[in-house]
Amino acid sequence: MTTARTLVSVVDDDESVRESLPDLLNELGFSVQVFSSAEEFLGSDFVGLTKCLILDIAMPGMSGLELQEELKLRRSRIPIVFITAQKDDEIRPALIQRGAVECLFKPFSDTSLLSAVNAALRVA
Amino acid sequence: MSRQRLGLDEGWPGLQGFSRDASATRPATDPITILEAVEVPIVVVRRDSTIAYFNRAAADLLGLSPSDIGQTSRDIPVLAALPRLEHQCSHVVNTGVDSRVDFRDEDKWFVVRIAPYKTGDRQVDGTVLTFTNVTAFRAGLDHAIYERECTKAIINTVADPLVVLDAEQRIQSGNRAFYKMFGLSRDETQGVPLNDLGNGAFELALLREQLKEILADSDVFQSVEVPHVLTAKGERTLILDAHPLSFPGHSERRVLVTFQDITARKQAEAAKDLRSEEELRRSEAFLAEGQRLSLTGSFCCKVETDEITWSEQLYRIFEFEPGTPVTIERINARVHPEDVPMMTERIERAYGTGADFDYSHRLLMPDGSVKYVNAIAHGNRDAEGRLEYIGAVQDVTQRRMSDEALAKARSELTKVAGVTSLGVLTASIAHEVNQPLSGIITNASTCLRMLDADPPNLDGARETARRTIRDGNRASDVITRLRALFSKKEFALEPLDLNEATREVIALSLSELQSNSVMVQSELADDLPSVTGDRIQLQQVILNLVRNASDAMAGVEDRPRQLTIRTELDEEDRVCLTVLDVGPGLQTQNADTLFVPFYTTKTDGMGIGLSVSRSIIESHHGRLWAAPNDGPGAKFSFSIPRSLEAVTL
Repeated sequence: MTTARTLVSVVDDDESVRESLPDLLNELGFSVQVFSSAEEFLGSDFVGLTKCLILDIAMPGMSGLELQEELKLRRSRIPIVFITAQKDDEIRPALIQRGAVECLFKPFSDTSLLSAVNAALRVA
Repeated sequence: MSRQRLGLDEGWPGLQGFSRDASATRPATDPITILEAVEVPIVVVRRDSTIAYFNRAAADLLGLSPSDIGQTSRDIPVLAALPRLEHQCSHVVNTGVDSRVDFRDEDKWFVVRIAPYKTGDRQVDGTVLTFTNVTAFRAGLDHAIYERECTKAIINTVADPLVVLDAEQRIQSGNRAFYKMFGLSRDETQGVPLNDLGNGAFELALLREQLKEILADSDVFQSVEVPHVLTAKGERTLILDAHPLSFPGHSERRVLVTFQDITARKQAEAAKDLRSEEELRRSEAFLAEGQRLSLTGSFCCKVETDEITWSEQLYRIFEFEPGTPVTIERINARVHPEDVPMMTERIERAYGTGADFDYSHRLLMPDGSVKYVNAIAHGNRDAEGRLEYIGAVQDVTQRRMSDEALAKARSELTKVAGVTSLGVLTASIAHEVNQPLSGIITNASTCLRMLDADPPNLDGARETARRTIRDGNRASDVITRLRALFSKKEFALEPLDLNEATREVIALSLSELQSNSVMVQSELADDLPSVTGDRIQLQQVILNLVRNASDAMAGVEDRPRQLTIRTELDEEDRVCLTVLDVGPGLQTQNADTLFVPFYTTKTDGMGIGLSVSRSIIESHHGRLWAAPNDGPGAKFSFSIPRSLEAVTL
């Protein structure tokens, strides 16, 4: 069952997100890998397998936006759903214009997460 | 007396016809009487050279006396002085042909004609000497000869070649320079047509026709430049001029032609042209390079004709094909649509008055990019009074971009600084709270889904519920920390170096101060002892004082906006910090009013900065006060005790 599941990767420096999101995504039917930093994700074997990336914006080290740029440079087409605790109405259209599928403001509901991930998978 | 002198009848048969009795009265037609009346001196010499007769004029001229009759001419000193007179006379007697000799009597000149004296039977018996006074003629001749010699000398001395041509434009005579120029002698050129000289260079219609006219009756000659004349010095360029020569009594006119060699001048001019062309090219290259480097293009616009000239760089700025015609329409098509009305209005206003103009506008390039340019132009009227503008357009896009980037960075910094001075960042609170809230909601959602599953995942639900509680506690912790931040009772006490804390504040606010044209002078005391206190809160106070000082000087234009930050240890062993400005000073009688909450002199201020600052300092057991500055402006100071023990929590 797990082998057939679509891999969603989560990159967030906040531990509570790394703890809670995988369970919810599992419940929603996805396979999940979590990473505490952009560097950790890039260094992993899951970049090529990831079908959707849930990505925090503000992180120590490489930020979510920088990771997005890096992936573009690597010609990776992983669809990205940004998540941020910084409520900024201006940032969402900017991120979407830069190629993100969606930007969710923490806290977000399980349904908005699901629809964002589904939208991302449709793009892919 | 005269009778005796005129003894013609003394034994010389030839004159017997004239001899009469001395007492006889001679009729008026008597030849002797006539001869006596003639003013021309006449002497008659016999075959044997003896004097037969002389008239009065001859006696006067030659100093003869009657006794000289019968003497030979050799015996008369005056006649003896005439060269070979005797020989000449006998030659005339023998041949019957006249002869002439010159005779000079002091300053008088005579021509002596020696003519045969014939008797009735055509027998030549002697000679008749008539003395013609040619003094005046001789003087004129002398003068003419002298003049001619002078002229000849002048002509031969003149460096420019001269030549006289006859009516057929053939060479008559030239000066030395002329012969020298062509390397020919007088004989070689005599009668040679001018056209045959100089390898045919003179065969110019303009020259030939003009010479023809001048030889006819014209006095006007337009100088003719003749290039490629082959001379002894090689090919030369000559300017020919001509003057008519006409002689009284001669119907044929001649022409004097002068030659001026301008080869050297031509060469110098050519070299100069070449040089100035080179200089021009160089200065143009300099200008183009300068324009390229400064991103400045120049233009000239003639208002009346709408004729516009652009420099290369201006074509580059507008991204027009170089050299293509520039029209107002093309320019307007490039100008940012929002700026066209402003530009049109400015230009029309300038054109109306001829005033200079200076404005900034944007260009919208075909690729959608925007350029910022500054245009400046000077109105000028040309000699005919027509208005023209000469100006420059500078591409300031890069500068504008960096200005904007700087402004953005500054406003971000100001934002950060503002946030810092408040102590709490609203967004930061939200961030801090939203993180655990996110966990709570996610966990609770997961929990519900696990319970709703069939069969329910109870272990999972328990775990997520536990996490929900934990995240709830984390959110609560955040609130607690925030309360502590506001409470004033909670200090993060630490020993701190007030100088260092001050330096950090200056560094943080430097950009903002610079943009307000405030110069900061820090006078931080060496070896300042450390104090115990809350670093962040004390920095908020310092920042607040610095901002107040900067704001107070916003209206200062007549002196440098000097802001001084000073630290020192006062007499009571307290560490003291003072901020001085040169603004309008304290506007209130009672300085303490400043510290009342919501008192403000600023239009956009809340009036809580100083009251909060004072409460922070007081919680450090210190003092915050205001005083007038020694010069213009105000002075705000705080002092806090250095020892840890003195701070009570």
